[in-house]
Amino acid sequence: MSVDVGVLARARARARVLGAVAVPVTAPVPSGLSGVPDGDRVWLLPVWPDGATPAVLEQYETPPMPLDRAGQQRRVLAAALRCCWTRLDDAPWPGEAAPVADVLSVYAHLARGDADLARRWATGELRRLTDTGWLLLDEDAATVRTGPRTAQWPAETLASLRDLLRRLPGPEPLHA
Amino acid sequence: MSPARETAGPAAASLDDLLEGEAVLGVYRQMFAALARDSGAVVDDPALVDVAETLLAAFADAGEDGLSREQMRHVCRRYPAEVFENRLRVLRGLGAIREVFPKPHQLRYRASFTSVVGLMFVRRMMLDGGQSEMHRLLALEQLNVADPRMTAAQARAGADGLARAFRLWSVELLTLTHGTIEELREQAPKLWGSEEIMLRAERLHGAVLRRWPELDRSCTDLRAALYAYGDASRRAAARLSDSAGTTRNLTLLPPETWRTFARTATRDELAAVLDGFVFDAPAPWHESSAVVAAVADAPRAVPARPAPPRASAPDRGLARDVGAATAEDDRLREVAEEVLRGRDRVDVRAVLTGGWPAARRLLADLSAAHLHPGLPYRLVWADGLKADPSGSPTWLSSGTFERHPR
Repeated sequence: MSVDVGVLARARARARVLGAVAVPVTAPVPSGLSGVPDGDRVWLLPVWPDGATPAVLEQYETPPMPLDRAGQQRRVLAAALRCCWTRLDDAPWPGEAAPVADVLSVYAHLARGDADLARRWATGELRRLTDTGWLLLDEDAATVRTGPRTAQWPAETLASLRDLLRRLPGPEPLHA
Repeated sequence: MSPARETAGPAAASLDDLLEGEAVLGVYRQMFAALARDSGAVVDDPALVDVAETLLAAFADAGEDGLSREQMRHVCRRYPAEVFENRLRVLRGLGAIREVFPKPHQLRYRASFTSVVGLMFVRRMMLDGGQSEMHRLLALEQLNVADPRMTAAQARAGADGLARAFRLWSVELLTLTHGTIEELREQAPKLWGSEEIMLRAERLHGAVLRRWPELDRSCTDLRAALYAYGDASRRAAARLSDSAGTTRNLTLLPPETWRTFARTATRDELAAVLDGFVFDAPAPWHESSAVVAAVADAPRAVPARPAPPRASAPDRGLARDVGAATAEDDRLREVAEEVLRGRDRVDVRAVLTGGWPAARRLLADLSAAHLHPGLPYRLVWADGLKADPSGSPTWLSSGTFERHPR
C-alpha cells in the first residue's frame, strides 16, 4: 500500500467539509471513513468505533446534534422509505427510486392540517435530508432514493422499522 | 484681618463668611436635590429621579398657587407611598420644594427654579455623558471671546478650564481603551469625540490666540490637551473596530454597520469572515427506532377516542360471556347435532369412523363441545377398549357422547 498520505488527507478533508461525498470506486478510502458502494462510485461516510452509532450519545447523556423539527424530518424519512424500500427483507440501501409525488402523498397521511402546506414542508425536509446524505433527491427527474447513510443502520435494529413500513399506508394512485 | 480671627483659625470665620458659604452650599443643594437619596447621599435608583421630575413638572403646571400635599401625592400616584414620602422629605430638606410661606403647618408648597435647571443639566449629562455639554461650553466660549468686554484674565481662565476638561476626557478614554472591550463598547460612544468638537475647540483656540497673543502659554496647554484627546479618541475607535472583527461579538458595532458591511462587501470579503474555520458538517443521525417513534407521535387528524365509560356493576368475567365467540359455538353445536342426529346419546365408537384424520378432527370437536361451558354436551368414558388391527383407528376406548340437560 503505497498511497500518498497527502491524497488521503485531502480526501478526508473534502469529505469532512462537504458532508457525504461520492468518489470513484478507484479512489482510495481514507481511514476513519467507510465506503458505501453505489454503482461505479463510493460514498464516503464517517464510521464510529466498535460498531456504535451516534445513538450511543444518549447513553452518555450528551446532547446530539441539534435538529429543528426532528419529528417532522423523521416522518418524511419514513414516508420516503415506504416508497423506496420496497423489498423489506433486503437492506434499505440501495433501494429504488420513487417519484417525489408518491412520497408526498404518503407523508400527507402522517401530517395533520392543510395537505398543501404539508407537501411544502415535506419538500423542504426532503432537501435537508438530501443535504445530509439520508436521501438522494433528483430534482430534475423528481425522484428520490434512499441515501447512503441508511446503509449504516445496523441490520439487527431494523425490525421495528420494517414493521412500521408494513403498517404504513402506501401512496395513493394518481388517477384515483 | 483681625488678630482674633487669626488665632481662632478658619473654624471661626466671620458671620459674613459663614453666610456666603451657606448661600453657595444652598445653591449646590438645590441643584442636586433631585439626585439625593437622603440629605447626605446621592440616589442609587434612577427611578427616584423620575419622582422628582414628575413633581417639578407638576409644580410648573400649578402656577403661583403651588401644590398641596395631597395634590403632590396625586401627581405621584404611580410610585409607592414610602418612595414618595422619602422623596418629599429629602426635597424639602434640601430646599428644592418649600412652603409658600415659611410658617408651621403650611399646606401649600412651591418648587425652586434652581432645582429644575439642575435636573435638566443632570438629565443631559446622563444622556450623552457631557459631550453635548462640551459643545455648548465651546459655543459659549466662542461668543465670549468675540465679546469686546472680555478680559485677558477671563479668557485665560476659560482656556485653562477647557484644557483641563479635555485632559480629563482623554484620560478617561485611555483608561477605557486599556480596559475590557465590553466596557469600552458601553462607554466610549459617550466619550469619543466628533470631528466637530475638535474643529470648534481649535477655532476657539485660534480666536483666543489672535486676540490675546500674551496667552500663548495657556493656548499651548489647550492645544496639547486637544491633540491628546484626539489621539485617545482615535485609539479607542481603532481598538473597538479591530476587536469587533476578531471577537465575533456582533454587539461591538452597531447593527447598521454590520448591515452595511453585509450589503456592500464583495463575496471574498464575506468569505474571509470565516477564514480559519473548518466545518465538520455533522449530519444529524436518525436512529431507526427514532423514525418509528416519530411516526408513532405524529399529530393525528382526529384526536384519539377516549375509552367508553365502564359499567359500575361488577364484571362477571369472560367465562360466561358466550356472546364473543358465537361463530365457533355455532360450529361446535352443528358438529354435535350432526353426530347425535336427534338422539340423546351416541356411542363414540360408532361415530369415529372414516379414517384416522377425520376421526381425530371429530374427536377434537367433540372434546371441545364437552369442555365448552355454554354447550349442553358431554363425553363420558367407560373402561372398555376395542382393538381392531385392520381398522383405521386401530383401537378405541368405549364411551358415549351425550346431551345433558342444563
